[in-house]
Amino acid sequence: MDPSAAVMEVSVIGGYLGAGKTTLVNHVLHNASERIAVLVNDFGDINIDQELIEASDDSTISLTNGCICCSLVDGFTSALESVLSLQPKPERLVIEASGVADPGAVAAYGHAPGLALDAIVVVADAARLREQVADPLVGQTVVSQLSAADVIVLNKVDLTDDVAAVLSELGRVNDDALVIETRYSEVNLDLLFGRTVSQVRAGASHIGEFESRTHKSDRPIPRDAFESLVMNLPEDIQRIKGIVRLTEAPQVPMVFQLVGRKWELRALADRSKSPEGNQLVAIGPKGSIPSGWDQVLHFNDETKASS
Amino acid sequence: MGDASLKIFTAKRIITMNPALPFAEAIAVQGDRILGLGTIEDLAQWGDYEVDDQFKDHILLPGFVEAHTHVMTGGVWEFPYVGFYDRVDPTGRTWSGCRDLSSVVERLQECERDLEDPQQPLIAWGLDPIFLQGERLVAKHLDQVSEKRPIFVYHASGHLATINSEMMRRSDIDRHTPTPGVARDTDGEPNGELQEPAAMFLAQGGFAALGAAIMSPNAKWNYAREARNCGVTTVTDLGTTRLAMEGQLEAWRDATDDPNYPARVVVAVGHGDFGGQQTESNDMALLAVRLRDEEQTSKLRFGIVKLVLDGSIQGFTARVSWPHYVNPPAGHPGNGLWLIPPEQMAEIVSSYHAAGLTVHCHCNGDEAAQVFIDAVEEALEKHPRWDHRHTVQHCQLTTTAQYKKMAALGMNANIFSNHIFHWGDQHASVTVGEERAARMDACATAEREGVRFAVHSDAPITPMGQLHTAWCAVNRLTASGRVLGPEERISVSTALQACTLDAAHQLKLDHDIGSLEAGKLADFAVLESDPYEVSPEQLKDISVWGTVLGGVPQPADSQ
Repeated sequence: MDPSAAVMEVSVIGGYLGAGKTTLVNHVLHNASERIAVLVNDFGDINIDQELIEASDDSTISLTNGCICCSLVDGFTSALESVLSLQPKPERLVIEASGVADPGAVAAYGHAPGLALDAIVVVADAARLREQVADPLVGQTVVSQLSAADVIVLNKVDLTDDVAAVLSELGRVNDDALVIETRYSEVNLDLLFGRTVSQVRAGASHIGEFESRTHKSDRPIPRDAFESLVMNLPEDIQRIKGIVRLTEAPQVPMVFQLVGRKWELRALADRSKSPEGNQLVAIGPKGSIPSGWDQVLHFNDETKASS
Repeated sequence: MGDASLKIFTAKRIITMNPALPFAEAIAVQGDRILGLGTIEDLAQWGDYEVDDQFKDHILLPGFVEAHTHVMTGGVWEFPYVGFYDRVDPTGRTWSGCRDLSSVVERLQECERDLEDPQQPLIAWGLDPIFLQGERLVAKHLDQVSEKRPIFVYHASGHLATINSEMMRRSDIDRHTPTPGVARDTDGEPNGELQEPAAMFLAQGGFAALGAAIMSPNAKWNYAREARNCGVTTVTDLGTTRLAMEGQLEAWRDATDDPNYPARVVVAVGHGDFGGQQTESNDMALLAVRLRDEEQTSKLRFGIVKLVLDGSIQGFTARVSWPHYVNPPAGHPGNGLWLIPPEQMAEIVSSYHAAGLTVHCHCNGDEAAQVFIDAVEEALEKHPRWDHRHTVQHCQLTTTAQYKKMAALGMNANIFSNHIFHWGDQHASVTVGEERAARMDACATAEREGVRFAVHSDAPITPMGQLHTAWCAVNRLTASGRVLGPEERISVSTALQACTLDAAHQLKLDHDIGSLEAGKLADFAVLESDPYEVSPEQLKDISVWGTVLGGVPQPADSQ
């Protein structure tokens, strides 16, 4: 299964001015293992080694690794339409929201035809976060952005003496997001974007300090059993994505996403290219995912088989 | 001079806005400029002349200057209007208001019959459900208009659209569509209402067609026609056109270079767009300077930069200082939105200021105004500069202390006085409460504190028409008929100055337009009655014959 074969997955990168959004975009462009299109506020801040640049003009930069960077000079919707018409189609669209934008409002575009929203990533400046949250002018903006996040990239952790206090402040604002602590916006991209089964097949299951585990089964799963899996997952699992079929409506493939403590199960928009059966990939720190993490789903297979 | 082309217009009265000669009975024009004013006898000293007395029963004023409008004002008329209030289109046709749901459907049915191509979507605009009693318009009502043709009805707020079932079908909008803003009925089926741009973006051929039409060449022409019809000779496209985009300057040049194009246009460079995306201010400053120094013509002017710092008061997105909003909707975070990070303002304003440009910054709320004022002060400390005329646009909740500071810094204001009529009742009851509503759009305070100010319509947000806008500032009557904040009313003559000379001042064009005096451009508003003779309550009802632009009479279209 691979939802991105049919549609472009969308990641929105938000966060207040100075948190490190553009640095994260640069990091993504340099380390991408898939074809990514990036919509950025300001071309001038994009810092790409000359040898990586294949071609560039006023509104796009094409990279030798297949990625493309598009400016928003002609407006957001017009840039979005250009990306949707790109051939070959990028596998992922990364949208950098402005420093005061509500990333949730930007992410709403991530459900347009041809797109599937993956996650809202909000970059936070660990050294300034508490001060920003308390600021009478921008506090509300910063809190709204953090509240919208599925993933919080807590950046510049080397610049604060008290990460614990910052984490506790984050917990008050958004207790469900996956928090990734970093410096220089250097985030593991598998964790940032999640992985699909086809990507795992292509690469090792160990990714830096993380590991991934795959579940595959054929039979539809009762909703109760699936929810029980989700509720009883090992706490260290940070991300799962995949496609499942529920016994209640087996003809409708359902996209499952878990990021931090947030999860959703929704009907796949484009059903023409969906694979058979159930396929999930879980990611967590090395050694954190026991081999039987998906036992409840196999149990379902066995009961079906024996009946 | 003795030039045979010397023409003298006579009028019942000429109101000049020049304090040295406030009134006259004749005005001499040579080419596109004013040679002088006075009596015919006074003007005969310039040599042979020809008298044009077609305005002998009319009142001439300096052509009105609208310093805050947008070019979409002309573009929306590509499509039928289904709003609640009567509205006049650029051809002078009055579109009667659709007072209930069935008249919206009937209007659309009429327009649907007029469309020849069965595939062409029917797009309409101006719907305002707040005013319509009873059931809310949804897809099933639009299906009565057509089940085969896609229909897209854009709301007056700009935040919503309603589409029919065929448009949903063509756009793959169904119960599985996950986009937030796709409104649903109790069974979870989409009901045809799309809330906010991301949802409207789903409607194939709807939102995009609207966007293309409002920036089309025809939109530019209709914009100037609408201006002319209400006596406006200089209109402003305040940051709507993306001048950095290829072809946009040329499109404006093509329109305004035509000798028949009936208005002058000031096109401001926009810093960022309405989605809050930022642009590099230094690049935009270079662009604005180049346009000002190399691309200006008599009818196309540059030199203004537009910033948008906060949202709207009625949308609860303006940045309003404590005690913020009286009665915001459930789930509202307490205060409005920043569209530019406040701590970036000083740097952004400085880059335009240092380049010698005039910055016009949208600040509806007083907290936003304060951030802008502070940014101007910081820019002035770094780059002392006289006569910059940086302007607080909308300036709706600006306080007395802020006006004092603005005066000290040499700033201008452009006050959104139309709000008093259109939303004044809601401001008193729902947004900022009685006391602050009574002192919002504070023209009298601006005048008392010595801040030069204009008043504006923000068309198409409210209809263009400087006589109506002046009427709002003079009478402060709301839609329900109450006087909101009588202390902030201004005199008719101050209001007329705000619509002419002082609007020209903040566009840095008062050397050329805004009053009638020798040497200035021969731009007049031609009125059927005298604003000083009618009662102040009747100011908005004065009929407009049209304009004279650069000496050439431009009769309004009327139907």
